[in-house]
Amino acid sequence: MNRGTPVSPDDFGRVIRHRWPDRLYHWVMAITVLTLLGTAFLPIIGVKFAWVEAHWIAGVVSIGLVLMHIVRVSIWLDIWSMMIGPRDVCDTWSAARWALGLRTDPPPLPGKYPLLQKFYHAAIVLTVVALLVTGAMMMVRIDTPFWVRNPYWLSAETWGIVYVVHDLAAMMVLALVIVHIYFGLRPEKLWITRSMILGWITRADYAAHHDPARWKLDTGERG
Amino acid sequence: MELFRITHDAWGQETLAGASWDLLPWFVGAAAAFIVLHASWLLVRRLGKGGSR
Repeated sequence: MNRGTPVSPDDFGRVIRHRWPDRLYHWVMAITVLTLLGTAFLPIIGVKFAWVEAHWIAGVVSIGLVLMHIVRVSIWLDIWSMMIGPRDVCDTWSAARWALGLRTDPPPLPGKYPLLQKFYHAAIVLTVVALLVTGAMMMVRIDTPFWVRNPYWLSAETWGIVYVVHDLAAMMVLALVIVHIYFGLRPEKLWITRSMILGWITRADYAAHHDPARWKLDTGERG
Repeated sequence: MELFRITHDAWGQETLAGASWDLLPWFVGAAAAFIVLHASWLLVRRLGKGGSR
């Protein structure tokens, strides 16, 4: 289901794509994820420093941000606009055939979020949730201002599984972040990157990249 | 290449300590390969369009 949130053009005819709380969430999340990746992997490649405290603090901030994001999209935004539905599966088939030159007509325009953005979001959600859940479990094993460590909460075998999931998810997040930055810097995607910095896209971008029926423009209100 | 990190507990038994860090270059390599393939595909498509004009 892709209802699309009605958006209002501002005085300059720009279409609001990301409001300030969502942009703030994205960039604070970016800082915390890069902190988590840096404190996780720099010691592994030989850059030795006291990483544990910065790592768990960034992890706690990430968990808080994700919970806030879930509340925001559930109440104030259209959570369905990012969900992958049956229509997206058909559009993926059309897009794949078009990309391979098996179809001349371009695939249908998306709603607010392009197909690849939806697939990326689904992948990063699954990975980050696995990472944060296992990371939160592992925090039981370290002393913090809030509790004393308890390494015997789970059996050694179970802890082993938790570590494996956390490590694999961390390496997956690293790969996904690399791909995300690549797409963010690609010239033809800069209009999306700009919208994550300034919040808006142009009317021309809206017309070129979005189906107005799937992401409705509400001209009766101010943005 | 190891898939897991194995350690020994106080009784000398092997316990799972996590995924092997040998896998790290594979994840980074997969991301790099995706980027190269995607950029190459776009380039080929662009050149193809240019050539057909």
